[in-house]
Amino acid sequence: MHPVNWVIVIAYLAYVVVDGVRRAKGTDRIEGYFLASRSLPWWVVGLSVMATQLSAVTLIGTTGQGATDGMRFVQFYLGLPIAMVILGVTLVPFLHGAKVFTAYEYLERRFDAKTRSLTSFLFLLSRGMSAGTILAAPGVVFSAVFGWDLTWSVLLIGVPTVVYTMIGGVQAVAWVDVKQMVLIVAALLAIVVVLLVQMPVSPDDALRIAGATGRLQVFDFSFDISETYTFWSGLIGGTFLMLSYFGTDQSQVQRYLTARSVEEAKTSLLMSAYWKIPLQALVLLVGVLVFVYYIFQPAPLLFNPAHESQVRAQEPVAYEALESRYSETLQIRRTAADAVATARDAGSTTAAAAAIDAFRATERQARGVREEALTLAERVTGESPRDVNYVIPRFVLDALPIGLAGVFIAAVMAAAMSSVAAELNSLSTASVIDFYRRWFRPQGSDAHYLFVSKLATGLWGLFACVVAVYAASLGSLIEVVNRFGSFFYGSILGVFLLAMVPGSRAIGAFVGLLAGMAAVATVTFGAPSVSFLWHNVIGAVTVLIVGALLSRGRTPTAERST
Amino acid sequence: MTPAPRGTARFRTVLARVLLVQVVTLLLLWLLQTRYTG
Repeated sequence: MHPVNWVIVIAYLAYVVVDGVRRAKGTDRIEGYFLASRSLPWWVVGLSVMATQLSAVTLIGTTGQGATDGMRFVQFYLGLPIAMVILGVTLVPFLHGAKVFTAYEYLERRFDAKTRSLTSFLFLLSRGMSAGTILAAPGVVFSAVFGWDLTWSVLLIGVPTVVYTMIGGVQAVAWVDVKQMVLIVAALLAIVVVLLVQMPVSPDDALRIAGATGRLQVFDFSFDISETYTFWSGLIGGTFLMLSYFGTDQSQVQRYLTARSVEEAKTSLLMSAYWKIPLQALVLLVGVLVFVYYIFQPAPLLFNPAHESQVRAQEPVAYEALESRYSETLQIRRTAADAVATARDAGSTTAAAAAIDAFRATERQARGVREEALTLAERVTGESPRDVNYVIPRFVLDALPIGLAGVFIAAVMAAAMSSVAAELNSLSTASVIDFYRRWFRPQGSDAHYLFVSKLATGLWGLFACVVAVYAASLGSLIEVVNRFGSFFYGSILGVFLLAMVPGSRAIGAFVGLLAGMAAVATVTFGAPSVSFLWHNVIGAVTVLIVGALLSRGRTPTAERST
Repeated sequence: MTPAPRGTARFRTVLARVLLVQVVTLLLLWLLQTRYTG
C-alpha cells in the first residue's frame, strides 16, 4: 500500500482513539458509562444505530454483491422502516420508560429471573462470537489483498476499538459512530464520482449495460419462501428480523436507551427508517458500477489474490489457459458493450435490442470461464472460492487515486470498529448487569461496578480478537453458533411481544421461548429450503401462541423467582 | 382537544416524512428497473 494511504489510515485510527478517550468525561458512574446518563440527542443516537448495523461485511460484501448479483439485495431491508415505526410505538416506550440498563432486565420485571437470564445468556453467546467474526471479516480480506499478516490486520482494527470503548464507554461509542458514519458515506460518494469520471461511457449507458445483465432488477414479486431476496420475504420476514434486531438485541437497544427522552429515542430509530434503504441502494449501486467499470478495464479472473497466486503456482498451465480464454472473451464483451451504447445513441430500437442480446451472450461466456476458474480455485485451495468480498478491495487498489484508497480502507475499518465497539459495550453491560450484579454481587458500590464493567469490556475485546485470529480454523464452530443464533432471534422477539399482552405469565414466556427455538430448529433441519428470513416469523408466532395458551385461565400474578 | 406534546408532534412529523421518503425511494428504484431492465 502507498505510504500516503498508510498515513491516512494511521491518522484516522489515532484520531478515533483520541476522540473516543476524550469522551470519557462524565462516565465516572455506571449510568454514564453504559447509558451516557440518558443524555444523548436523537441524531447522535440515530447515527450510532445506523453505524452499529453497518459493519465492514456490509461495506465490502454488499458492494461485492452489487457487482456480482445486482440490486435485488435491497429487498432484504424493505421491512426495516415498518419495524422502526412499530418499535417506536411499542417496545421503545416500554424499555426507555422502564429505566433499565438491558432489554433483558425488563423481562425479569415483567416475568421472572430465569427468562431474563436465559435471553441474556443467548445474547452473550451469539454476540460474543459475532464480535469476533465482524473483526475477522475485514482482517481476512486485508491480509489476502494487501498481504498483511492476519493477526496484525485484526489487531490494527481491534486494539483501538477496545481502547476507546473500554475507557470512554457508550459516550465514546456513540460520538465516534457519528464521525464514522460521515466517513463511510463520504467514501461511498467519492467512489461513485471516481467511477463516473473514469467510465468511458455516459452514466445512462453504464446503467443500460448493467441493466442488460439483470443487475438493475430490484423487485421480485414472486411468493417463494425458499427465496430470501423477494419483495414478500423482505417485507414480512424482514419486518420480523428487524423487529428482533432493533427491539431485542442489546447491541441496538442500548443505543436508544442513551437518548434523553422517549420521544428522542423514537425519533432516533426513525432516522434509520429514513436512510437505510436509500443508503443500501447506494452501496449496491456502487457495486453495480464497479461491475460496469471492469467491462471497460482488464478484470482479474479471480478477485482473491491469495487464491490467484496459489492456483497460478500449483496449476500454471490450466490457469494460463483459462486466463487466455477469459481475456479473449472480455475483449469481445467490451466490443459488445460499446455496441449497446452506440446502438442506443443511433436511436434504432431494433439495433439496440440486438446489441443487448449480443452483449448478454458474451456476458454468459465470460461468466462461464470465471466459474471454471472458481472451481479450479476450490480444488486447489480446498476453500470456498466465493470471491464476492474481494471485488471492491481489488477495485480500490486498481482504480482509486492515492489518498482516496486510504480513505476507503479507513472507512472499512470505521465500519468494523463501530459495530464491534457497540457489541463490546453491550456485551459488557449484559455481563455486569444481568449476571454479575444480579447473581454474584448485588450490593456493590458504583465505583466497583464501573471497574468491573471496564474489565469486562477489555475481556470481551480480547475474546473477540482471539476468535477473529482463529476464525478460519473455528469456521465450523462459528457457523454452528450463528445457526444456533438464528434459532432464538425470533423467539426472543416473541417473549418481548408476549410481555405486552395483558395477562401473559412467566411460565408462558419461558416455555414459549423454548418452544419457539424448538420450532425454528425443526424447520431448519426438517425444511432446509425455507429461507432464514421466515425463521424469525415462525419463532415469534410460536412463542406468542404457546405463551398465550399456557397463560390462559389463570390469574396473572407476580411470579418473580429471586 | 388537548394539543399533542412537542415530542409527540415531532415524532408524527418525522413519521410522515419517513413514509414519504420510502415511497419516493421505492418509486425511484422501480423507475430504475423499468427503464434499464429490458
